[in-house]
Amino acid sequence: MMDAWLSKIVAACKGIGLNYDFLLAADERAAFLHGLLVTLQLSLACIVLSLLAGFLLATLLVSQRRWLAFGARVFVELTRNTPTLVQLYCAFLVLNMLITQALSSSVGNPLTPFIWVVLVISLHKGAFHAESLRAGIEAVPAVTLEAAASLGFSRRRQLWLVQLPLALRFALPSLINNLVDLVKMTSVASAIAVGDVTYQSIMIWTQRDNVLELMLLMLFFFGVLTYAVNLAGRWLEQNLRMPGYGR
Amino acid sequence: MATVLATGVFMSGVAHADATLDKIRQRHKIVVGVLLSGGPFGSIDPSNQKPLGWNVELAQDIARQLGVELETVQVQPSNRVQLLQQGKVDILIAGMEWTQERNEILSFAPTPFYQVGGVAIVPQDSSVRRWEDLRGKQVCLSQGSNYAKPLSTEYGAQVQGFKGSSESLLALRGNNCAAAVHDNILLQPLVNDSPEWKNYRIIQPALIPGNSVVWARKGEQDTVAAIDKIIQGWHQSGWLIATEKKLNITPPSPVLVALHGKFKKI
Amino acid sequence: MADSAYTDAVPLLPQSALVLRQGRTWLLLLLLAVLLGLLLRSGILQLPLLKDLLTWSPALLLGMLANIQISVLAIAIGTLAGLFIGVLQLSSVRLVRLAARGYVQLFRNAPMLILIYFSTYVFPFELHISSHYVSFPDWIKVTLGLALPASANVAEIFRGAMLSIPAPQWEAASSLAFRRTQLLRWIILPQCLRRMLPSWMNLYSTITMGTALASLVGVHDLLDTAQIASTTVNRVDFTVAIYFTTLLLFFIYCYPISRFTHYLERKYAFI
Repeated sequence: MMDAWLSKIVAACKGIGLNYDFLLAADERAAFLHGLLVTLQLSLACIVLSLLAGFLLATLLVSQRRWLAFGARVFVELTRNTPTLVQLYCAFLVLNMLITQALSSSVGNPLTPFIWVVLVISLHKGAFHAESLRAGIEAVPAVTLEAAASLGFSRRRQLWLVQLPLALRFALPSLINNLVDLVKMTSVASAIAVGDVTYQSIMIWTQRDNVLELMLLMLFFFGVLTYAVNLAGRWLEQNLRMPGYGR
Repeated sequence: MATVLATGVFMSGVAHADATLDKIRQRHKIVVGVLLSGGPFGSIDPSNQKPLGWNVELAQDIARQLGVELETVQVQPSNRVQLLQQGKVDILIAGMEWTQERNEILSFAPTPFYQVGGVAIVPQDSSVRRWEDLRGKQVCLSQGSNYAKPLSTEYGAQVQGFKGSSESLLALRGNNCAAAVHDNILLQPLVNDSPEWKNYRIIQPALIPGNSVVWARKGEQDTVAAIDKIIQGWHQSGWLIATEKKLNITPPSPVLVALHGKFKKI
Repeated sequence: MADSAYTDAVPLLPQSALVLRQGRTWLLLLLLAVLLGLLLRSGILQLPLLKDLLTWSPALLLGMLANIQISVLAIAIGTLAGLFIGVLQLSSVRLVRLAARGYVQLFRNAPMLILIYFSTYVFPFELHISSHYVSFPDWIKVTLGLALPASANVAEIFRGAMLSIPAPQWEAASSLAFRRTQLLRWIILPQCLRRMLPSWMNLYSTITMGTALASLVGVHDLLDTAQIASTTVNRVDFTVAIYFTTLLLFFIYCYPISRFTHYLERKYAFI
């Protein structure tokens, strides 16, 4: 029944000059659907890890210990000012190879390309999150911090209970923008054969030469995904709103 | 003799030449897509960024015999068919062997100029000894490689396509796949000559060995005829064997010797 | 930030002089020199490696030039188109507004890689103008592919800048009998352009990093040259060195832009 329905849609598309034959081939269809799943997995994993990395880097950036702040700043500047693709190649093609050579053959290298992509993208976007959060942390009015200090909050508790919650709310629009960028960035995973939707599309169009049709599908899919992230962002903004701050 | 024949064919087809030959004549230039995957068959000279190697030598001689200028365009396995079909290149000298699928969408010069097959490169201590051992394992290759289908359907391996052979080989070194499968003309020199690859070995026999031919767009019979004459001339004069020696391609291919013998008699 | 007090006190010194005056920078350079010396000494970094790197550095720099060329052209085209679309978003015709919004949403939500693949494969490789063939090289296709998200983002930045202009400006201008076009040209746009500048520079940085994706479609940019070099030389240590050199070259280009952006942000912070 599903097949008949699909054949009708494919035939209709042929009528307007779009070749979606690959949907009728079971293995290619399964590969494409698997690609969609992998992109979802990548996006979710990267969103969670990048936010964690962002928080960690933000706390390091505003740390009182100069060497920690300096180290974090060097890392942030390095990752923000170099392309993700080059970082991915350095990590996967170079570091991975060096790690494999260093480990003995019995231990083996447990890091798969998927893990490398998640690591690189999370750290890259984590640096952007850290910048947004840092701007948010610095936007917390000094009066509030002084009030907290006068109430006996230690530096760490100030950060955790006063600065970070407020900074999060200030930085939320910027963080959501970063997350939308992150979802789009997962497409670079195709360069190291991770099996996301872009990679599967490439494998299909090198055999079938139907680039435009696959493009339309991918644009639609990413449009839906980014819309979902934006929606989630707006929901968070509504729910985290604090009276007196922001619009 | 071959030159005269070739120019004769070239000139005689004035009224009936196909679109590609017309274009080549009009622009006084032939655009050849060459595969530069490294090694003696195709690479780049660092001092002037010019391509050199077997594929380039053949392209240069074709242009010389046709009496036109040569422009080379570097192609990758992932985009070579598209570039030819879109018209960006006129012919392909890209280590592409004859397959039924390609035959359906492109034309080719019937006389082959080399023989290529796929071999796998694995670490010395790998448990893989034959092609069948790759069942269920990850195999790295280039996007658009024609070894992907036989590997996944016949041997049940899981293929991972990378942008080019260099990325695929780096992934192999990073232990992300059990083997990397590429043309034997690429992998054999690596294992034979390169000290970096002394801990690796080759799985033989070659996968789907086929004749390397020059490809053109479907229906371009005159172009194909002109090129074919040139290639036959190469075999007759032994130029290909001389070029093979000049570029230090080892081991020398028995196919070339056989073809030389065959065409000398004609 | 730790150095903001310092820079506020000496606002007239150029950024480069400030960087050199900080002891931190010299310490970092010294550490780097020591590290380099140690690596050379221990044999991990060999002289043949440095020689190979030097042989390939002209090719790498040419590749970098290709990246810069693509990025500058993409941002130029994108800015012009983006400003146009931005103005269309203010149109009184609802359909035009919707179309402009749709364009912005589409190209902001599409991954850059997909747009690059799209423009490379869908555009023809050459144009027939009368009997001449005008070639449409790959790098121009990539430039157009990058100009699309650039224009959508510029339109969005423009919209944000417009929204941040206080309402009294509009009201005061119209009370002084400015026509709509005069109002836009003399009052609103100059203020907008100043506010747009930091975000625009951020966008330029993003586009520059997007040019690295051009290597995936076969343009001979820096990353592609690095890959060719790595295959030709075919040594592990050289491969490691060349990929990290690529990283370094991108950093050397993008970091000053990022610092300049910060400087602009601070300068225009309270307008």
